[in-house]
Amino acid sequence: MKNFYRKVAFGLGPDDKTPSDPLKWATNQLNDIPEFSWKGKILPEKELRKYYRDYVYGDRKVLRKKFKNDKEGYKREKNKLRHVTGQKFWWNLELCIRHSEALKSETPVLAKLWYFWGNHFAISEKDFLAQYTTGAYQREIIRSNMNQNFEKMVQEATVAWTMIHHLDNNDNVGPKSQEARWAKEKGRKVGINENHARELLELHTVSPDCGYSQEDVVQMAYVMSGWRPNWGKKRLETGDVHFNSEYHQPGTKRILGKKYKSGRKSLSAVITDLVNHPSCREYIAMKLCRYFITDNPTKEMMEPIIKAWEKSDGFLPDVHKAAVEVAFNYSDKFKKFQNPENWLLIMSKMSDVELIPTPKLMDLYTLGLKPTHEQRSLEYLLRELGHHPYLAKQPNGWSDNSDDWMSPELLIRRLVYAKEAYFKKNRKSQTNEFYEEMIEKNYNNPNEILKTLNQHGDLSNKHVILFNLPETLKS
Amino acid sequence: MKISRRNFLKGSATTLFLAGFNFPILANASKKKNLVVIMLRGGMDGLCAVPIISDKNFEKRRKDLILDETIKLNSDFALHPKLKNFHNLWQNNLGAIVHATNIPYTKRSHFDGQNLMETGGHIPYSIKTGWLGRGMKLAGLKGDGLALSLPMPLLLRGIPSNDNFYPSKKRLPRTELLKLLKSIYAEKSEHNLANMMEIIANRSMMNNGGTSMSRKNSSLALKAGLELKKINGPRVAVFEVDGFDTHAAQGGVNGSHSDSLIEMDTIFKSLEKGLGNEIENTLVLTLTEFGRTIEQNGGRGTEHGYGSAIFMAGGLLKKSQVYSDWPGLKRKELFEGRDLNSTIDSRSVYASAMSTVFDIDFKRIQKEVFWGDELQNLSDKLFKA
Repeated sequence: MKNFYRKVAFGLGPDDKTPSDPLKWATNQLNDIPEFSWKGKILPEKELRKYYRDYVYGDRKVLRKKFKNDKEGYKREKNKLRHVTGQKFWWNLELCIRHSEALKSETPVLAKLWYFWGNHFAISEKDFLAQYTTGAYQREIIRSNMNQNFEKMVQEATVAWTMIHHLDNNDNVGPKSQEARWAKEKGRKVGINENHARELLELHTVSPDCGYSQEDVVQMAYVMSGWRPNWGKKRLETGDVHFNSEYHQPGTKRILGKKYKSGRKSLSAVITDLVNHPSCREYIAMKLCRYFITDNPTKEMMEPIIKAWEKSDGFLPDVHKAAVEVAFNYSDKFKKFQNPENWLLIMSKMSDVELIPTPKLMDLYTLGLKPTHEQRSLEYLLRELGHHPYLAKQPNGWSDNSDDWMSPELLIRRLVYAKEAYFKKNRKSQTNEFYEEMIEKNYNNPNEILKTLNQHGDLSNKHVILFNLPETLKS
Repeated sequence: MKISRRNFLKGSATTLFLAGFNFPILANASKKKNLVVIMLRGGMDGLCAVPIISDKNFEKRRKDLILDETIKLNSDFALHPKLKNFHNLWQNNLGAIVHATNIPYTKRSHFDGQNLMETGGHIPYSIKTGWLGRGMKLAGLKGDGLALSLPMPLLLRGIPSNDNFYPSKKRLPRTELLKLLKSIYAEKSEHNLANMMEIIANRSMMNNGGTSMSRKNSSLALKAGLELKKINGPRVAVFEVDGFDTHAAQGGVNGSHSDSLIEMDTIFKSLEKGLGNEIENTLVLTLTEFGRTIEQNGGRGTEHGYGSAIFMAGGLLKKSQVYSDWPGLKRKELFEGRDLNSTIDSRSVYASAMSTVFDIDFKRIQKEVFWGDELQNLSDKLFKA
C-alpha cells in the first residue's frame, strides 16, 4: 500500500508524517486550488506573450533584413534578442513553479493530476511556445480549472492563445467566408485547417472510439473557423484570441448528427455536447487509469470514475477523487512505470534533494543577460532525462505507456542523474539512518530493500540502486 | 541549356509494367543489409544542395544565393562545393540523388511536415507510428533499430525494443552496480529492464568505464557505422540534422544552409569509416519535410517550399546518377507559381529502399506500410537486388 504515496503523488518526504488514512490524505487535497507554493515572481501569460511578440517581431521584421549578408552578425544579434526577451529564462521559472507544487506544497496529489491535464491538453514543441507561454498556459488555463467541470477546462483550453497557435487554428478559414472571397480576388486560395478541430475530437474530448467521420472533422473545422489571434502589424500573431466572423464559414454545420447554427456561439455549443458524450468520460477515465495504475486499464477500473463523472456532471474534484480511490484499491496489484519527470520528483521528495533553485536566485535574473547555469538547471535536467514537459513531440503529449520510456539511453539517464542528485542533498540526509527511515516510510518491503542495499558500502551507490529498483521505477 | 523530362519518365513505365508481375525479391536474402535514414529538419533546399546548371529562371530569382565553384555532376546538375565526402562517394559509384521529389505534403508547416515525413501519412498527427518502424515490423526486425538521439524518433515507432545512442555527459556507474541491477531485474522477472541493463553494461565496458563521448553527428555516425558492421548489430539507424530552416542569411557557399549540409556530409564520411567494407551492403537515405522557395526573400534567405532532393549513399545503389523527372522552373511549371514541383512521391524511394534492404516484396510494403497508396516500385532502377 505504501506505493500509493508514490502512485498518486511523489512519496513521503522526511518532514511528512505517515497519514493515518492514506485515501483521505489524498482526496482531501483535491477540493480547492490553493495559491502557488512558489514564493518568487510569477508572470501572467499575457505579459509573457509580449516577450514572445518582441522576439518574433525583432527577428522576423528587423534582424533578418538588417543582417541579410552577414550570417555571423545575424546569429550574434539574434542571440542578444533571445536574452533581451528572456527566452532561456521564463521556462526555467515556470518549471520552478511547477515542481514546487510536487515538492513544497501541501497538495502533491493535485500536482500530479495537474501534470496529467497539462499533458492531456498538451502543447507540443512548436515555434517558441515552450520558452514563453506553455508554462503560463498550464497555470492559468489548466490548473485554475481543476476545481471546475471538465467542460469549463475544455472551453478555455480550446480558445487559449497558446492552443490556437499550437494547432494552427489561425490558418483555419471558412472556404465560403468573406476572407476567402477577398483572397480569391487577389488570386490567393485559402481554406480550412483541420488540425485543431481533429485534436479537439480525438485528443481532448471524445476520442476516435466515438466513431466520428472525416466529415465530422471538416464540419468541426468550419465551426472553429474565425477563432484566431487578433492580428496586428506590430504584434503579428500574438494578439488575443477573438472570434472574427469574416473568417467564419457561414451556414449550418452538422457534427455527430446534430445541427449547429453559424456564428460565435456554435463552438461553445459543440463543446458542451462533446463533453457530455459517453465516449468522452470513458476516454478520460481510461487515461486516468493508464496514468496512475496500468498500461492496460480494465473496464472495472474505469467504471467508478465514469460513475462519478455521471453523478457530478464532470465535476473534476469528484472525478479526481474517484480516480485516486481506484488507484488506492489497485495499489497492491498494479505498479505503474513512472515517467522520467515524475520519477525525478519522487526521488527528490523522498530523499530530500534540493532540486529547485531558490526563489531568491531566480528573482535575481535580469533581462538581457544569459541566465546562469543554476538558473537554467531544471530545463537542462529535464531535457537530459528525455522528458521536458513543454517539449512533447506531438499534440498527443508524452506517452503514458511504459514501452515508450524503455530505451538504454533513457535508463542511463536515470542512473547518472540519480548519482548527481545524491550530491545535491544536504549532509543531514546523507546518512544510513536517513535512508532506513525513508525506506521504512515509503516501501512495502523495507527489509528486502535494505538487504539489497546493504551489499553496497557506499551510500551514493545505494542511492542510485534504490532509485533504479523496480519498486521505485514502478509505483 | 534545355533540360527535358528524362530518366524517370522513360523508366517508370517499364517499372510499373514489371511491378505488375509481382516478382518476389529473394536474391541475397542471407546477407546482412543495413538501412540508414538521415532526417534533415527544417526543409532542405534541394536547389542549394544540388543546383541546376545554366537555368536562367533559377539564376534570375536567386541572384544573391547562387553558389560559386559548384561540383559538376552531369550536364544538368551540380553539387554544393562543400559536400566533399558525398562527392567522393559519387565518384566511387556510391552516391546518387533523386531530385524534384517530396512527400505528398503541400502545405508549409514544419511541424505537420515533419510529422508526415516520419509517419508517411497524409493527415498530420493521425498516424502514431513511423513508416520505418512499420516496415521493420513487417520484416520482423525487432531489436534491430538504432536511433542516434535521446527520445525515440517517431520514424522508428511501430516496433518495440529499439536501441538508442546519445551519450550522457555524465559518467556511468561502475559495471558491478549495473550487473547487480541487472540481476535484480532478472530475479523480479522484469525482462525488459534486464535486457536494457545488459545493453548498458556492455556499453559501459566498451567506453572504458563510461567516459563521456561527443554527441556530434560525426562521432555518433562513426559509432553507428561500427555497430551496423557487426553481424549481430543493428540493421537500421536513424540520424537527425537540424538547422535547414534558413529564412535569413542563407548565403552562398559559406552561408547558414551550408553549415547544415556540411553536418550531413560528415555523417556520410563517418558512416563510411565505421562501416568499412560493409558500406557495400548499406543504403543511406536522407529525408526532409519540404524544399524551399526558388525566389530568395528580403533577408537573402528562402521560405518554405515543396519539392526537394534525396541524397542516397552506399553500395546497394546501382550507380551514381541524378534521377529526376525534372519539372522545370518556369513560373507555370512551379508548384503554386513559387516552388520546385515534386514529380516523384519520395515515399516510392523509401518503400523501394525497404523492399531492397529488408528483402520484402514491394507490394507488401506498399500495402501494409503505406496503406496501398499509389507508389512506384523503383527498386530495380535505383538499387541492386
